Amino acid sequence: MRNFEDDPSLQDLLTDDQLQRLTAGLSALCREPVRIGTDRSDHAVPVEFNLETVGWLSGGGSDDERRAAASLVSFLMMFVAKYRLAANLHHDTTEASYAELQRQNEALRASEARYRELSDQLQEKVDEQVALIKGVQQDLYESAKLRSVGQLAAGVAHEINNPIGFINSNLGVASDYVDELQDLLPDTESNRELLADFRDLITESIDGTRRIARIVADLKTFSSIDQADYTLCDVNDLLRSAAHLLQTNYGHQLEIMEQLAEIPAIPGHPAKLSQTFYNVLDNAAQALRDGDREQADQRIQIKTASNGEEVLIVIQDNGCGIPDDIRSQVFDAFFTTRPVGSGTGLGLTVARDTLHAHRGSIAIDSHEGSGTRITLTLPAH
Amino acid sequence: MADYIAEDNKLTLKVVFYGPALSGKTTNLMQLHTLLNPERKGELMVLETRDDRTLFFDMLPIGLRSGSGLDLRLKLYTVPGQVQHDSTRKAVLSRADGVVFVADSQPSQQDNNANAFGNLEENLEKVGLDIDSLPMAVQFNKRDIPGVVEEPVLQKRWAATPWAPLVMASALQGQGVLETFQVLLDRLYTAVDQEFDLAGTHSIDRDTFIQRLSASHGLHHA
Ligand SMILES: Nc1nc2c(ncn2[C@@H]2O[C@H](COP(=O)(O)OP(=O)(O)OP(=O)(O)O)[C@@H](O)[C@H]2O)c(=O)[nH]1
Ligand SMILES: [Mg+2]
Repeated sequence: MRNFEDDPSLQDLLTDDQLQRLTAGLSALCREPVRIGTDRSDHAVPVEFNLETVGWLSGGGSDDERRAAASLVSFLMMFVAKYRLAANLHHDTTEASYAELQRQNEALRASEARYRELSDQLQEKVDEQVALIKGVQQDLYESAKLRSVGQLAAGVAHEINNPIGFINSNLGVASDYVDELQDLLPDTESNRELLADFRDLITESIDGTRRIARIVADLKTFSSIDQADYTLCDVNDLLRSAAHLLQTNYGHQLEIMEQLAEIPAIPGHPAKLSQTFYNVLDNAAQALRDGDREQADQRIQIKTASNGEEVLIVIQDNGCGIPDDIRSQVFDAFFTTRPVGSGTGLGLTVARDTLHAHRGSIAIDSHEGSGTRITLTLPAH
Repeated sequence: MADYIAEDNKLTLKVVFYGPALSGKTTNLMQLHTLLNPERKGELMVLETRDDRTLFFDMLPIGLRSGSGLDLRLKLYTVPGQVQHDSTRKAVLSRADGVVFVADSQPSQQDNNANAFGNLEENLEKVGLDIDSLPMAVQFNKRDIPGVVEEPVLQKRWAATPWAPLVMASALQGQGVLETFQVLLDRLYTAVDQEFDLAGTHSIDRDTFIQRLSASHGLHHA
């Protein structure tokens, strides 16, 4: 590649036409015709430009004429060369600037792409953080709720246990009074009916108070108001309470089969475990409701087992199951397939977090249309 | 560029006068054209200017032929100092063998000097030259103007650089111009001798190189 500063040759400076015109002009001025070429012939004088011999001038009438003509050509050459140099430099710089521009353009494009990527990642990061914050907030909310539910339950248990106690004992006394009344009243058909009815009322009431007492007991277990935060938990007890509460919630229409084996008490947070069991059971109950099975065939099974190292809890339903395409999302916070307002979509998220906090795990096995089995594993020590 | 053409036994070197706008680069070259009387001296080509300011470049070729027949050429260029002509500056600077940095001694011009020097560093890097190994002389021009920055101040400022001591000049009055050129030739010789074995192969020693290329009319017969 030639640079703008490379020494120009005669051909670089003048075209053949221009050279012919030049020699014609010089020839007219000299006594003999003049020739300019690149070959050195006899008596030729150099045509110099910038210390460079660019050609040889021959012919002419004398050496003086040749020298004068050659110096005239050199003089002209300088202006031609100036123009040529400037033009070449301009060409060089324009090309360099253009190349530079293209490079910058390329760099700009690359950096734009990088920024776009960065901004995409930024969105991801923001989403991640938002999810994290939401999760933490939800945890806080859940534990606050848990605490207030616990406090409420403690209050309710305390307030209800007393009246239930005296209602129960009063009902017992009332039942004795009915016996005494029977002896005092004339034995007529209508009196007998009245007393039988009365007894039924009292029996039903006693049954009712027993149920109330059990609910209170379950609530106490469920919210573990008597327990320290972290303690040895009887998982079977917690499961039973959760199941009973669930049944109360569903108007005792659920068929819950319990197969609870002898398992060791495990260290844990009873209120959170109860909440977890309840959430899983609640999901099972809703799956039954969303499934196609007749009420009579709907079933929830709770099994526990232990190998000494771990405690296994299996909660199985024969409800609607979880479609394959959303199974991976069921642990996502706020993911729910249920209509807006029917739940926070946090049930399984909280369950998984609780299990993790207990160094346990949760596994889902589900077939759409035939049911779901959730297996919770907790370390025994 | 240190262009050696073996078949012509011709070595061409390129020296570029660099510096801020109006520091006197063109004036330096014009003075060299007047003062120098080397064996061979071409025409001073002053390319386009507007209001005395260089738009492309100026160029002065000088040369000598050594005893061994080496055809040694030195092409002296100036760049346009005005900021907007950066691409031209870069094109002229490319393949330089040496640089004369012409700074302006006036206090108001010190920022421009620094900017121009930064620009020189930048452009050298862009054209693939290393400022630390490139032969360079630094001249502070316009010493004739009253109120210029004191020489000791300037010398001290540059003392730690490879380009100390600075050469003080008044290009307009022809002072310091030859001295600057000789400092450059001295440093240039070191580099060129290393590459082309000037002393050994071409029997041009340092003194010959400097004296014969910077021979002035006054010193011609010395
Ligand atoms: N007083 C004084 N003026 C000077 C000196 N050297 C140059 N000048 C003046 O400064 C002005 C600019 O000088 P130039 O040689 O054209 O400057 P330049 O560095 O080639 O400028 P650009 O081509 O624009 O980069 C001219 O008016 C010169 O006469 C000096 O030593 N003393
Ligand atoms: Mg200039």
